Formats: sequence, C-alpha cells, structure tokens
Amino acid sequence: MTAFTSGRALRIFAAASVILNGCFPALWILATAFKSEVELTTKPITYWPQDPTAANFVAAFRDQPLPLYLANSAIVALGATLLSLLLAALAAYAIARLQLKRRGIILAAIVAVSMFPLVTLMVPLFEIMRGVGLLNSYWALIIPYTVLNLPICTLILVSFFQDIPRDLENAAMIDGCTRLGALWRVVIPLSAPGVFTAGILAFVNAWDEFLLALSFNSATAYRTLPVGIQMYQGEFSFPWPTISAALVIAMVPVVIVILIFQERVVSGLTSGGVKG
Amino acid sequence: MNTRPPGRSLRQRLADPDEATLAAWLLAPAFVFIAVIVVYPVLVLLWNSVHDARLLTGQPARWAGLENYALVIADAQFWRALRNTLVIVVVTVPGALVVGMGLALLANTAVRWKGPVRLALLLPWAMPLAFVGLIFAWFFHSDYGIVNDVLRRLGLPTPIWSASAMLTMFAVCIATIWKTSSFMALILLAGLQTIPRSLYEAAEVDGASKWTQFTQITLPLLVPSMLVALIFRTLTAIQSFDIPYSIPGPGEDTQTLAMYIHMNAVDYLDLGYSSALAVVMFGLSMLTTWVYMRHIRGEEAR
Amino acid sequence: MKFLFGALLLSAALASEAATELKVLVGGQHRPDVFRELLREYSQLNPGVTITLEVGGATSELLQRYLNTLLSARDSSLDVFLIDVVRPAQFAAAGWAEPLDAHLGADREAMLASYLPRYRAANTVAGRLQALPAFSDAMYLYYRKDLLAKHGVAPPTTWPELAAAAKKILAAERDPNLQGLSFQGRAIEGAVCTFLLPYWSLGGEVVRDGKLAFDRAKAEAGIAMWQDMIRQGVAKPNVAEVGTDDTRKEFQAGKAVFAVLWGYGWNLFQTGKDTRVTGKVGVVRLPAMPGGEAVSCLGGWNWAVSAYSRHKAEAARLVTWLSGAETSKKLALRASLQPVHAHVFRDPEVLAAVPWFADALPVVETAVPRPVTPMYRPVSDAIRLNLNAVLAGARSPKQALDEIEHRVGRALR
Repeated sequence: MTAFTSGRALRIFAAASVILNGCFPALWILATAFKSEVELTTKPITYWPQDPTAANFVAAFRDQPLPLYLANSAIVALGATLLSLLLAALAAYAIARLQLKRRGIILAAIVAVSMFPLVTLMVPLFEIMRGVGLLNSYWALIIPYTVLNLPICTLILVSFFQDIPRDLENAAMIDGCTRLGALWRVVIPLSAPGVFTAGILAFVNAWDEFLLALSFNSATAYRTLPVGIQMYQGEFSFPWPTISAALVIAMVPVVIVILIFQERVVSGLTSGGVKG
Repeated sequence: MNTRPPGRSLRQRLADPDEATLAAWLLAPAFVFIAVIVVYPVLVLLWNSVHDARLLTGQPARWAGLENYALVIADAQFWRALRNTLVIVVVTVPGALVVGMGLALLANTAVRWKGPVRLALLLPWAMPLAFVGLIFAWFFHSDYGIVNDVLRRLGLPTPIWSASAMLTMFAVCIATIWKTSSFMALILLAGLQTIPRSLYEAAEVDGASKWTQFTQITLPLLVPSMLVALIFRTLTAIQSFDIPYSIPGPGEDTQTLAMYIHMNAVDYLDLGYSSALAVVMFGLSMLTTWVYMRHIRGEEAR
Repeated sequence: MKFLFGALLLSAALASEAATELKVLVGGQHRPDVFRELLREYSQLNPGVTITLEVGGATSELLQRYLNTLLSARDSSLDVFLIDVVRPAQFAAAGWAEPLDAHLGADREAMLASYLPRYRAANTVAGRLQALPAFSDAMYLYYRKDLLAKHGVAPPTTWPELAAAAKKILAAERDPNLQGLSFQGRAIEGAVCTFLLPYWSLGGEVVRDGKLAFDRAKAEAGIAMWQDMIRQGVAKPNVAEVGTDDTRKEFQAGKAVFAVLWGYGWNLFQTGKDTRVTGKVGVVRLPAMPGGEAVSCLGGWNWAVSAYSRHKAEAARLVTWLSGAETSKKLALRASLQPVHAHVFRDPEVLAAVPWFADALPVVETAVPRPVTPMYRPVSDAIRLNLNAVLAGARSPKQALDEIEHRVGRALR
C-alpha cells in the first residue's frame, strides 16, 4: 500500500465517520418513521423498515396540529431574530463607531446577560408576562429570546462594524445621509456576512428553546414545535412511530435551511468565538 | 471632528444629534430590554427568595428571611439535583471537548464530501435539545432501542437503562455530548485552519512525531478558541434541562437543578423556594465565570 | 402590537355575534371519544351552545401542569375542565374554580343528596362546592376466582392472609410465570395509594388541620408489610418498576393471582385483547392490616368551571348536566365508567351491562380520600418517590420516612 492510497483511505474514513456521527440519529428516526407499530415492537429490532408505511405521517398530522406548531415556531424564531438583529445593530454601531466613554464596560454589560440561566429568570418573567397579559402570545417568547440573543449578536456585529473603513461612511454622509442613513445604507450592507451569522445563531437558539415555551405558551394555539412534539405521549403509551414521523417533519425545514446556507453558516460560525 | 455651528434648532438637533447623544439613543433600546427581561427579574428573584411566596396557600407573600435557603440546605433532593448537575458538567464539558477535537481533526483531514461533512457538523447543533433527548431516549429503550440490540448482538448484557440512575445519567451524558460536540468541532476547526502549515513542516524537519506535533503545536494554539467555547458550554451545562427531562430515570434520581427549580415553580407553585434554588444556581454560574476569567487572566499574564 | 390589537378586536366582535362557545378540557386517558359524543348530544339539546373539546396531557400530573400555567395566567380560554379527585382543595385555595353553589340555586340540596357521600365531601371545600363529580373510582382487590376455588382458598381479608393464600397457590401451581400479587411500586400516583393503604388501615393520617400529622410507627409497619410481600416471594422483586398499567397487563395475561388496581381493569380482563382471564376474575375490598380496618383509596374525576370563564352560567349548566344521573348512566353503559350516584350503581340496566358494579359500590362507599390539602402535589411526590426508593432498595425505610417527613413538612409549613 502506498502512502498515497493510505492517505486517501484515511481521508475517506475521516469523512465517513464525521458524517455517520452527525447524521445517524436523524437517519434512524427517518427509518423509524416508516415502520409500523407492530414492526417497531418486534424483537429483534429491524434496521430498515420491512414494510414501509406512510400511516405514521398521517397520524402525526391527525393527532396534533403540527402545521400550527411549525408556524408558531417560525413566527417566534423569525420575530426574535429580526428584533435582536435590530437592537444589536443599533447598540453595536454605538459601541463600534461612535464616541463613547467606557465602551468596554457597556459591551461587557450586554455580554453578561448570558450568565443568567434561563430557568432562574423564568418565574419572574412569568409574573411580568402575566401582569401585562402576554402569556400565551407570540410576544411572551419573542421578547425574552431577543434579549437572550443580544450578547452574541452584539459581539459579532461589533467585530464586523469595526472592520468597515470609516471613509465609506463619511462619503455617504457627505452625499447627504444622516448617521442612521449611513448605518442602514453603508455599514449594514457591508457587514452582511456578520448580520447573517448573528441572525442564523439567533434563529437556531430561538427555534431550539423549550423551557420558556413549555411554561409561557402552554395553550395549543401558541405551542412551539419542541413543546408540541411532547404532546404525542399517552398515559401508558409512547407512540414512537408517530413521534418519529413528527420529528422528521419538524426537522425538514432546518435541514433545508442548512443545505442552502451551509457554506455561509460554517464560515460565519467559525469567524469568531461564539456561543453554542 | 465635532465642530458644529452653535445655535442649531431643536429639529436640527433631533435630526442630526451629536455623537454622544446619538450613542445613548442607539444603546437605549437594548438596555431597556435587558432591564425588563434580566435586571428586574433578578431583583424579583432575590425578593421572592426571602419571602414565603406559595401561590397555593391563598395568602399574600410573607417575609421569611433566610428560611428558604435553610430549607434548601436541609433538602436531600436539592443535593441530589446539584450532584446530577455537576456530574453532567464534569462529564459532558470535557467529553464534548474531546469528541469535538476528534471530529475537528477528522473533518480537517476529510477533503472529500465537503457538503455532507458540513451538514453532519451542523445537524446536531441545529437540532432542538428536546428532540435530541427524545431520540436518545429511544436509542436507549431497553426492549426496542438500538443500543441494547447492538449489545445483544455482541453477546453483552442488555440492561434496563431507565431503571438505574447511573445508567440513565450515562445516556443523558452521551446525548448531551453528541449534541454539543459538533459545535465545539466547528470552533476548533476554525482554529485548526488558522495554524500555518509551515509550523508543522518545520517540526517534520526536526523529526517530531505526529503526537508531539499535536501536543506541542496544535493544542497550545487552539487554547484561546477552546476557552471561549468552554465558558459557554459550562454555563449551558449548568442549566441542563431539556435532555434529562426527555430521558426519564427512576423517580427523581436523575433530576437536575434546573428541573427541580422548574418543578417547584410550575408544579408546586412555590415561588419562594424555587427562587432560593435559582439564586443558588445563579451563584454557580457566577463562580464558573469567575474561575474561567481568572484562568484567562493567568494565561495572559504568563 | 397593532396586529395583536386588531386580532383582539376581531375576536371580540366574533364572540358577540355567535352562540355561546364553551371549551372543555379532558385528559388523553379519559376516553375523549366518549366525551366528544356526550358533548355533541348536549349541544343538540341546547341549540344556543357550541362546545369544543380539548384533549390535554395524558397523566393527571401533565394535565395539572397545563392547568397550573394556564390558570395562573388567568387565561379565559377554557370554561370547563375535568380535575382529579385530589385537586379540589388546590383549586379552592388558588381561586381557580367558580363555586357552584349559587349556580345550582334551589336544586343544590337535592343534587348533593343524590351523589355518593365521599364525592359530596371531596368536592366541598370550606362549605363551598368547587366541582361536581364526573365518575367514581377506587382501588380494588382483583383475584383469580378459578385458582382460589381450585385450591380451596377464600378471598383474603387481611394482608397476611393474602400472602399465605398466594404462597399456597404458587407452591401448588409451580408456574414460574405466575406471581402472587401485583401492585404499583413505580414512582407514580398509584404508589401514593400503595403507601397509604396499610397506613390508613392502621388509622394513620397524613394531614390534620393543614399540618403534617405523621405516625412513623404505622408508616414503618406499612412499608414492612410490602417488603415482606417481596421477601416471601409473593410479589416480584422488581415491583419498583411496576406501574398502573403493568399490573393490568400482568393480571390480564394470567400472570398474577391477586392484583391491586383501579376499576378500569375489569372490562379489559373480560373483553380486552388477548385476555387470558375472562370469567375468572373476582373483585373484593382490599385486605386490612392485622387488627386494622379494611380501606381503599378513593379515585375518580370531577367537573369544575373555570373562575376565569366568560360564560360561567352556561358552563355551570353544562357541568350540572354532565354530573347528573342520566349522564352518569350513559357513561356507565358506554365506557363502564363508575357512576357517582348510588342509585345508578343499582340500576338494573347498568347492572346487566356491568355486573361487577354490585361488588364495586360497597368499596367506593368506604374508600378514603388521599390527603386533602392545596399542596397535594408536593405531598404526593414526597410519598411516591420515597416508597419507590425503598422498594427498589435504594433507601432504607428510615431514610425514606425522614425524607417524607421533611418534604411534606416543608410543603405544609
């Protein structure tokens, strides 16, 4: 065996093991979603559906309002992403570009938000939301998610804004733009990769969140996906085939987003110290 | 730089304020949100924790001093929940780092199938924790899970995972490491790609082994990117909720601190006690941050 | 925000136009199909009322968690909900249930007199009626008539008698798959009853005047009784993993001589899929501790009207209908759910359809309610988790009782 082929074999092995590790659980659930209840509870277990059935997907849509949960998750995650980008962009511009005393402390104060565990804030937040009548509404989740995303979005945008030459901005202002006009027309477009990275992180964080969603929006009409998926379990039963089908449906949008944006997501994620 | 004609009208000043005022206006929305969503709740939390605030007594909250904290210290379930949380931190943070390092080195070697490799690194990161918990609960199902099937094929004993606290914690840790290692890998991969090839070539000339190259060049240069990732990973491990919630063990023996806080708040509606527990958890987060910061400063000083 | 406001205006406008819309919540384990049908019949009788059924979490705890968050938020989206018999005290303390006394008006006394006394008491907190009973339930001792007759054993009246009977039958049958007694040791609500049955039998109490009243000697004797069952080989060593439906499945598969279980088991034993015990099942009161009283654990569910409902009068009328004798009979005939009126238990048509109700009535009439306190959930958790830990061998009875005392004491401080 030459060094070349062994290097080649090693590379294939490396790629295969990374792919297997990352995709196996999703593929397993995909296979499970096509098995019947009987096949699933037969020992020894089957690795590939022997008699594929679409019945689980029908059941997933029948037993719970899955499209509603998907829509709720999308509305909450998009809302929180846009709002956190807006707040973070304004703050980051002030920190990165304007005359500001104690710049470092102000940035640290924003980043310190991530030190506060969500579960510790849950009860007071519940009281606040109850007080203003926002429980079981999109805002009950959009507002807290926005704040939780502020540290990471601000950090990323500050580092991108700092890299944009001041001359470009000045030129725009000479052409009659205000400061904010320059931010909107020059700084933001030039920092598009940073805005995108911050946005995708904010979106995934909001899309994933379970604890607040479980406690604040327990009514069916406002349940998000992670909470809704839990509703399939019964008193004595755990309908795995249906849950698997629901998980598959819930993962499809995320996989599509990843497939479209994977290059930008990876380069964005790896461009700075970011939170997991 | 800031030379403006004096005596501008109010309208002019609003339309084009001086920089300090503009900065304040731009920072205001973020800080208003932080004040409402973080600062005020933390104050409420501290207030609740020194009051007997049980919604189900039908009584208004009553000053209780440090009573709730004394109850926390005497509560065996609190210590179990704390122990479980610390087990998750101590096992899954280094675990995610080691597995993440492995994935990063493999991905760095793998020049083929770039798309699928990237997808495989992103998928665990983008999958909600609650889903990961459900999927791994199914993997570890004692009758129909793949783990016991593989063990059976290898002729090994097939335990009832959910009947033992230790085995359930093992499953929780595996699920957590799987979910978090891929993000760690992405960060380390970025670090790996910034290390100049020339360093390795020079080491090669000096006759250094691959392992020596790894410990002498790769690891030290990755430390900065590792530390930041580790702080955030540790802070989120302290808050573990979704995965242990979805992989139930015997009774409450695998409950984490976050789950116990949630239970006291949502099921028992005992706001005082759950707030005291929350303050303890908050203390844990602060302590963690402080330890890392000290370490980072120490590194910088050296 | 503007969108939200618009949506609110729109929904308000719609509400004033349409007929009264009531929303009813039941749990996933409550035969939603049967209730949906009942509610449809009510809407036909009352054309001004449309009813939607929401199906919540499938365990009593999940359903309660949902109600906790919804009702602490003073949410008005639900009008009527089914609550576990252990909860009226919590709903009264929190002010979540609309007291029904005023809504019943002159009929109040007559209606109350018609209910089984235990349910009248369970739903009345501080003199106010918090809910009306939907269906009753209790824990029974199921036994294999055929096996007991074959070996000349009478249904036991004390736990040691049961152990002796089981040992005799097991020794004679020599069936490795047969166990003497199946009961619940998993950390579920049923385990609370497992703990309380021998404790109550000896006269023990958990809560008196809202405070912990714990009798350690009686609790120790109760736990020792269960441990003996395992030690003597009457119960399986892994009883700490046995939940409610596991007991049902084991007995149904003919793998147990005795079983401690709620009323839902009977029908499945007679006509369930793959049942091995059709026609071989007897039901009696649960045994007593030596020198103690025979007791059972009171179960069942109740209809409450939300204090935040916008249609309380309509909701109260619906609830009155749902807990009336006629509906109770329909539930008995259609779903074998146990009636809440003594005369429905004795109704010939009902007895023809569900003959064992004749044996069930005396048990339900003497069943004991679990600790009545607004803090029921933490009390229940403390008891079930510690009983489970003892049966699993993870804690000594002393450690477990210390922890029960400490945790219940904290909840009731």
